[in-house]
Amino acid sequence: MNEIIIARNLSKTLGNVKAVSSVSLDVKKGEFLAIQGSSGSGKTTLLSLLSGLDKTDSGEIKFVGEDITSMNEDDLALFRRKNVGIVFQYYNLIPTLNVLENIALPLFPESSSKEEMFEKATHAAESVGLAHRLNHYPNELSGGEQQRVAIARALINEPKVIFADEPTGNLDTETGRMIVDLLKSLNKEKGLTIVMVTHDDGLAKEADKLIKIKDGVVTNE
Amino acid sequence: MIGYALKELRKRNRKYLLNILVIGLVVVLLITLNSLGIAFKEASRLPFENIHSSIIVQRNGNVPENTSGAVTPCSLAPIKSEYLSQINKIDGVKGMSYGLFLWVFDKDSFKRTLGVNWNDDRGKIIGSELIEGSLPQSDTDALAEREYAQQHGLKLDQKVKVSGTDFTISGIVETSGKDVVSSDVYVNLSSAQSLAYNSKNLQDTEKFNRNDINIIFVDADQTKVKEVTDNLKALFSSPTSNGGKTPTGQTTGAYSIYTPESFESQISSLFLMSDRLILTVSLVALIGAVLIVIKSMSHTLMERRKEFGIMKAVGFRSKDIQREVAAETLLQAIIGYSLGVAMSLVAIFALAKTTVSIAIPWEMSPYPHFLTSNPNLIAPVQTYPFPIKFEAVYSAEVLIAVFALSLLTVLVLMRYINGLNAMEVLRYE
Ligand SMILES: Nc1ncnc2c1ncn2[C@@H]1O[C@H](COP(=O)(O)OP(=O)(O)OP(=O)(O)O)[C@@H](O)[C@H]1O
Ligand SMILES: [Mg+2]
Repeated sequence: MNEIIIARNLSKTLGNVKAVSSVSLDVKKGEFLAIQGSSGSGKTTLLSLLSGLDKTDSGEIKFVGEDITSMNEDDLALFRRKNVGIVFQYYNLIPTLNVLENIALPLFPESSSKEEMFEKATHAAESVGLAHRLNHYPNELSGGEQQRVAIARALINEPKVIFADEPTGNLDTETGRMIVDLLKSLNKEKGLTIVMVTHDDGLAKEADKLIKIKDGVVTNE
Repeated sequence: MIGYALKELRKRNRKYLLNILVIGLVVVLLITLNSLGIAFKEASRLPFENIHSSIIVQRNGNVPENTSGAVTPCSLAPIKSEYLSQINKIDGVKGMSYGLFLWVFDKDSFKRTLGVNWNDDRGKIIGSELIEGSLPQSDTDALAEREYAQQHGLKLDQKVKVSGTDFTISGIVETSGKDVVSSDVYVNLSSAQSLAYNSKNLQDTEKFNRNDINIIFVDADQTKVKEVTDNLKALFSSPTSNGGKTPTGQTTGAYSIYTPESFESQISSLFLMSDRLILTVSLVALIGAVLIVIKSMSHTLMERRKEFGIMKAVGFRSKDIQREVAAETLLQAIIGYSLGVAMSLVAIFALAKTTVSIAIPWEMSPYPHFLTSNPNLIAPVQTYPFPIKFEAVYSAEVLIAVFALSLLTVLVLMRYINGLNAMEVLRYE
């Protein structure tokens, strides 16, 4: 069984917009998948369904063999905690926590030992090249650095899949490329499965596989 | 978990500090004001504490024609002894003492003279202040007050003339400053009654029967003081003789009934406080605090909406976040409350160092106006340490209130957190 996510006939209406319409797709283990589409095409909505952040109106998602469409909110949260890492366009770091604590955030509810928690976080920080910034606060970091903190946070719980929604959307081209390179190296070296949303053709080409979406409907594949 | 809450407290210190200060301030206000309220009531009882009774009955009378012999002061006109048995029948009356207080204008000196029933509570208390000698054994024995004895060079076993009658000083007592009604000479009640009965000046001013007295101390059950007072007021409602006003503004013939309440207004005005003011300030403080805390809380929530969303996105369940927020809120409440209690302790400690001065109404312990050359002789003002205490019970009640309010806040926060959609986090900028 090579598929880590099997999505069938996903639909989601937001307000009166059919944001995702009968989408079916597979994500293979170790794959770097890009979802590309213009603004408003439903990329973010699709990502939220695949990652278990939002519930589908109809359709089915099998994620590492589990049917996440039938889970309640708490179970979904636990599922995300265990299997999912998320990277956002606007980093979404907590301004009152420093780098180390932001990275460790997903571990807080488990409340294992503090040393273990921060050891893991330090490790994750090293893997994104931020070992020297552990005690800084988000507002003291550049956009690229903040996004690397976010990636480290997504890595901390050793997820099966990392979802990234326009991770370079708020960065200049060069920094954006470095972030994509980082994601790619995580994919290649650690075998992490990555699902990245972008509207950028150039970045989309970096992926192993590309899914194009328009008006909530998959147009290739 | 708590570690995170503590850290949050530190980071968001300005906002949380405000919450903590507000809670502390309200706690201090509630505890201190109400301790003050209780202390006022205590203080107003102080003048009565030494006399072991809670109500004093007197009658207003006429001013003596001239200053000779034994007379009754105009605030202590004779009261018929028949009233005594009637007072005894009132429900809630535990005991009763009475006496006859006279002004005696002798050639050599003026002396306040109190006829005492040595077997009643008042008599026993006066007797317990004996510092030399013994209680009067016969109707011609008398006790002298220490200060008066000193001033007039009176010694034990010496003779002293009171309204033309010779008395032998059998003992010295020290009562000045300890008693609401102070006297210079204490004699048996029957001796005083004889002096009064035989005083032409007194008989001309007031009709005096053999067994009349002019001051009654009623010891009422603490819980029934109000009812007993009402009953006494009914018993003594009608003035026994019509007339004008006494020099102190009372209606001649009317009875005066003094209770601790008579001093309450005096003491509260001393602190510019009344029960109603305390209640108002407490309520305003409480409402103000609730508003400030709610406002700061909702402000914090708006700010933290994003934070909670992020937490949900990375795998916090609602209850994981709720636990955090509950810990933070309760921590603020606990710190605020402790701060408030600490400040209250300091405030109450400082207040306990102060004193209250209570002016004893002239009517209660009269002294001739024209003889007040030595103000020490009369003690119209008695000074007591302010009887304020840290009310543990009250602070426990405040704790419960603070706790209840924080629980309410926590519930509101929990609902709010439950309603947050993790999905929204993807659309945050
Ligand atoms: N809360 C909402 N209520 C109504 N319509 C919504 C809501 N959120 C999104 N939409 C609509 O759903 C459609 C898909 O939105 P979505 O955010 O998934 O697009 P997107 O591809 O991520 O766009 P972008 O590249 O701008 O991020 C859009 O037309 C959007 O306007
Ligand atoms: Mg989007």
